[in-house]
Amino acid sequence: MDDNGPRSLKRAARLAARLCPPLLAAALLCGCWDRTEIEDRAIVLGVSIDKARPEEEGEEDPVTHYVKGLGPPASDLIRVGVQIALPGRIPLGPGESGGGSGGNDPQKTVWVLDVVGHSVNDALMNLQQELSAKLFFGHLRVIVISEEMARFGLENVNDYFHRNPEVRRMAWMMVAKGEALALMKASPKLERVPSLYLMTTLDEGIRMGKFPQDYIGIFWSRKSKLGQEGFLPYVELRKNQTLQTQGLALFQGSRMVGATMPLDIAVYMALKGNNPGGYSAFVKVRGTEVMTHVTHRESKTSFEIRNGKPYFKFKAAFELNLEEKINNELNIQDPSVIRDIEESQKKGAVKLIESFLEKTQALGSDVLGLGEYVRAKAPGYWNRNVGTKERWQRMYKEIEYEVHIDMKIRRIGMKAE
Amino acid sequence: MTKATRDISALQAAAVLVSTIIGVGVLPLPLFAVRAADTGGPLVTLLACICALVGLMFVALLGMRFPDESIIQYSERLIGKWPARAVGLCVIVFFALLTSLTAREFGEVVVTSVLKQTPVEVTVIVMLMLAAISARNTMTTFAYIHFFYVPLLLVPGLLIVALSLKNAEPLNLQPIWGNRPGGMFDGIVTIAALFQGSFVLTIVIPAMRKPAKALVVSLYSILIAGGLYVVIVIAVVSVFGAEETRELLWPTLELAKATSLPANVLERLDGAFLAVWVTAVFTTLLSSYYLTSQSLTQLLRLQEPRIFTFFLVPFVFVIAMVPANIVKMYEAVVNVGRIGLMLTIAYPGLLLLIAVLRKKGGSALGR
Repeated sequence: MDDNGPRSLKRAARLAARLCPPLLAAALLCGCWDRTEIEDRAIVLGVSIDKARPEEEGEEDPVTHYVKGLGPPASDLIRVGVQIALPGRIPLGPGESGGGSGGNDPQKTVWVLDVVGHSVNDALMNLQQELSAKLFFGHLRVIVISEEMARFGLENVNDYFHRNPEVRRMAWMMVAKGEALALMKASPKLERVPSLYLMTTLDEGIRMGKFPQDYIGIFWSRKSKLGQEGFLPYVELRKNQTLQTQGLALFQGSRMVGATMPLDIAVYMALKGNNPGGYSAFVKVRGTEVMTHVTHRESKTSFEIRNGKPYFKFKAAFELNLEEKINNELNIQDPSVIRDIEESQKKGAVKLIESFLEKTQALGSDVLGLGEYVRAKAPGYWNRNVGTKERWQRMYKEIEYEVHIDMKIRRIGMKAE
Repeated sequence: MTKATRDISALQAAAVLVSTIIGVGVLPLPLFAVRAADTGGPLVTLLACICALVGLMFVALLGMRFPDESIIQYSERLIGKWPARAVGLCVIVFFALLTSLTAREFGEVVVTSVLKQTPVEVTVIVMLMLAAISARNTMTTFAYIHFFYVPLLLVPGLLIVALSLKNAEPLNLQPIWGNRPGGMFDGIVTIAALFQGSFVLTIVIPAMRKPAKALVVSLYSILIAGGLYVVIVIAVVSVFGAEETRELLWPTLELAKATSLPANVLERLDGAFLAVWVTAVFTTLLSSYYLTSQSLTQLLRLQEPRIFTFFLVPFVFVIAMVPANIVKMYEAVVNVGRIGLMLTIAYPGLLLLIAVLRKKGGSALGR
């Protein structure tokens, strides 16, 4: 035992010494399955989806299906555009002129490609077939859908982006009036990466009170709810390469059914009590006009079952600033004038709210989620009379409501009268 | 039988239970809850916690009556040698199954969301080897490992929940019993099955300094781990709504994806969350693996407790690879879990009843 101890120890040490090099080599030399160099990734910043004409099928490469009739019908053909960040061209800091020769020209920091396919994945596979780098969606910020596509239905689009684990829920999805691909090709001057400009427009819109939070994840959640429909920003590319928010694109399930006016965004936000207030409106008072700006809103929605139907009460309170007068006729120092302005704007607001609700009722698109109130607060009634999304869509058209508004002008700016 | 050193404090024992319970199940948990009773998901989870607590209390009370033995040993004195051995074997097989399904579920999440090119076999085997190596430690080290990781599991989990609540809508949680609470019972059983790792208490008690505290330990550990489960379901359902949660395979991961740190430090927390979750899976896997190998040595009355640690790896690995796809795997997770409840709740309950009726075992309080 005594001689054996040190000897076996020595043998063990020798064995360990022999095992060391192969183990070290194994640890250091083997790669990682998921190693990807950043240059080998095509970082997709924006995606656009348009409906393609059936005649354009010839343009499509049979990458995912080469037997005729195996793929979906030609009527489903779509054109997918992607905006890919060019590695090394994206300026990293504010002071940098952007590496390479790209400089500040937005269109030189990205590469816009478009392909035709039968579904989103089919189109992206066709694109991948002609691209050396692997498409990567981890930084996808903006998905633009053409109005035609949105009216056709977004089931496939939603499914693809929902399923893909790289896509963030904080990306924006928007419906473009006209061609969606044009937004990918736009080159706005404010931001050096075009997709980021589209995103910033909407993100800043939230901060300025121009648009409610409506990221793709929020849209999906709303769309799934039984007593609510989703909506997306409805935008248009203007002649000076800017993005104008035109209103809300109203959905029923996954299909767009209509669009609203820009001021309806304010109505939506008012009924939801979203802050800050960001919209200004003309107010008619004593034969002339003034403009006021909403700074703060508060609202409360309640309902009761009246005659076997939900009856809603909207209460909203606004705080306003007076922003301009059209001429000198009014004396703002007079408290009765202020009262008249409040009164007149109150009437205007009620009219706006009613026309907004009428429009959504006619389309059967409950973007306010009134059905969710019924489902949550009166589950017995809901289970007996509604139960499904389709039945709520029908019932929404028949609901009645009343609106109570309170307007308070708080400030008048730096001018005394 | 060799007498184990008794140096595990009540706090450490609670840590073992908490980090064992919080495991791979957190990811699909809200989906199970919402499938059972849509907006009633949090309530279902709460009831499941109570159900799990009852089972764990049976184990704790038994442990207090037989403070020097584990369930494999004292069951022989209660219901006879061969019936006890047969059930004991079932328990061991069940925990081996649980270990393999945990490892497989982990592998599936990793291969879907992070390491897409890495074969799932590699992820699973690495995790199993890690558990096998760590299972060679003594009970004291085992408890230290858990004690060390508990804060790492709880703090980020609670942080994500707290940060996500700013997008919450209270309307999504109403009515609290759900619109269609038909599947409530099924849901309670499925979720209670996620707590089964806590059965490890039966081998922890013989190493506890004061086995009399086992009941308090089980109460607090369910309070903490179950509390986290309920809070996660509340957060997920209130942020996404019941119907959207139903469409997500791993709602908790999606919640982390939708949550950002203030001031845009991190825009999505799923990476950070997965890192924490790997630890959570490791501790769960370690516990069920440890329980399997220890119980097997006890069943066969072997002296060397580490004998089966590596021996079990190939078996567990092969079972882990059996489910053909992720849908089949979840079917197996749910079904195995439900059957397991018979072994982890009903069986200890029966044993306790027999022990009380036959007045077997002393009271730990008298020691």
